[in-house]
Amino acid sequence: MNDELFIEMECQQFTKTGQFACGDDYQMLTMEEENRSIAVLSDGLGSGIKANILANMTTTMALRFLQHNSDLLQSVETIMDSLPVCEVRKISYSTFSMIDTRLGGKTQVIEMGNPRYVHLRGLQDIPAQKHQKIASKDWPDREVDCYEMRMEPGDRIIVCSDGVTQAGLGRKEYKFGWRRSGELEFMQQIIRDYPNISAKDLARSIAFEAQSLNFGKCIDDISCLVVYLRHPRILRILTGPPFHKEHDRIFAQLAESGANEVIICGGTTANIIQRELRTRVNIDLKLVKVCGDLPPPSDMVGIGLVTEGILTLSRVCVSLEDSVDVRKVPLAAREIIQRIEEHDIIEFDVGTKVNEAHQDPNLPLELELRRNIVKRLGKVLEKKYRKKVRINYY
Amino acid sequence: MEKITLEICCGTTCYMLGAAPLLKMESLIPKEWKEDVDVSAVPCLGECLSNKLCNAPYVRINGKIMEKATVEKILDSIQKIIKEKQ
Repeated sequence: MNDELFIEMECQQFTKTGQFACGDDYQMLTMEEENRSIAVLSDGLGSGIKANILANMTTTMALRFLQHNSDLLQSVETIMDSLPVCEVRKISYSTFSMIDTRLGGKTQVIEMGNPRYVHLRGLQDIPAQKHQKIASKDWPDREVDCYEMRMEPGDRIIVCSDGVTQAGLGRKEYKFGWRRSGELEFMQQIIRDYPNISAKDLARSIAFEAQSLNFGKCIDDISCLVVYLRHPRILRILTGPPFHKEHDRIFAQLAESGANEVIICGGTTANIIQRELRTRVNIDLKLVKVCGDLPPPSDMVGIGLVTEGILTLSRVCVSLEDSVDVRKVPLAAREIIQRIEEHDIIEFDVGTKVNEAHQDPNLPLELELRRNIVKRLGKVLEKKYRKKVRINYY
Repeated sequence: MEKITLEICCGTTCYMLGAAPLLKMESLIPKEWKEDVDVSAVPCLGECLSNKLCNAPYVRINGKIMEKATVEKILDSIQKIIKEKQ
C-alpha cells in the first residue's frame, strides 16, 4: 500500500436562476513546502454581481490571512471593515468557511454564518475535538466558530453555502429546506454506494441534488466544497520514443505497473509499447465521425488509452490553460482531460527522441517540441488544478 | 477472394499532411467493393522516420506503402488490385 497522502479539494457551484454572476466565491491554495492546503468559501450578501464582489473580496482576504497565519480575530475584523456597505440594507455582510488542513491530518475549520461543516469518516459524522467561539468588539453580532480536528486518511470535510441547506424551501416536504441533516443523509448514501468517490464528484453530486430539490431552479446560489484526504491516484502519461533505443524495454514496462491508469500519447510510442509488451492497439474507425479535428483515441489491450502525441497534448494544454468547456474539446483531448481530473498525481514519462519530420517547415509552427508542451502542461496542472506533477525523461 | 487490407496512418505528420479525410475511407469505398476491403487505422506506420519527410500521408495497401495518399489514389489502387484478381 502506498503511504503517500494527498489532499484533494474541489468545489461545485450553481448560480441563482436569473443571475449572471454567482454570489458565492471560493479560493483554494496548496502549499507544497508546508504539506498544507487551505480553502475558503464565502457567500456574499444578496445575489448577483454585488454579492459576487463581497464574496470575492472575502475569499481573497481570508485566503491571504490564512496563508500567512494571521491572527484570526484581527483577520475577521479587517474583512468586515473592508467590505462595502450595501446601499439597500446599510450593512456589509458576507459569510464564510475556511479550511486549513495538513497532510498529517491536523485540520482547522473556521466559520462565520455559513452552515456548519460536515466531517465524514466513512459514513460517520465526526464531532470536532475542540470548538471555540470568538466574538469581535467591533462586530458583536458576528461570532466566529473555530473547530479543530484530526483528519485520517479517507476522511472528508464538506462545507457549503446556505443555497444547499435551504434547497427545497417552498416545497411542502421541505418546510425548513434540505437542512444539514438532509445533506448529511444524502452524502452518506452516496459514499455508501461509492466509497472512493472523489472530492470533485461528491461536490458535484451534492450541488446537483440541491438544485434538483427545486426542480432544477436555483432559489439561491449553490456552492459545495469538499476536502478529501486520501492515498493519491496516479495517472501515468507515456509520450515520445526514448532517446536511446536500448531503453525501449524499460520505458514500455512503465505502462504495466505503478500507476492507477496509463495513457500513451504518440504513434511511435504506441508502436514501441505494442512491440515490447506484445500487445496491440485497437483503433475504432467509427469514432472518426465524432472525434473532431484530432485523430481518434484508441485502446491498447490490457494497458489503457492511446492517442496521437503532440497535437493532442497541445490541445489538452491549451484547453486547460483557457478553461475551455470539456464538452467542446475534441474526443482524444477530452478523454485525457477527464482522466487527469480523476487523478491526483500526474506522472509524465517523456521519451526525448525528436521526430525530424515534425521539424519540417511545411508543418504548422504550433508543432512544438514534446518537452516544451509537457513542461507547459505540468505548470498549468500544478498551478491551476492543484495536481502533483512529476516529469521523467528517457 | 482474400480481402484487400488498407491501413491508414494516424501519426502526427500524416494527420497534419492530409490523413484526416482518409480515416473516413470506409464510408467512401463503393458498395460493390465493401466486402473485399478491410480498412483499419494504425498508430503510426513509421514512414516519416525514414527521411521521406514530405511524402506523408502514408497508407499501406496489402503490405505496400503508398506515399502522398489521397482518396482518389487509394480507390484507384483498390480497383487495380480487384481487376488483377478477377
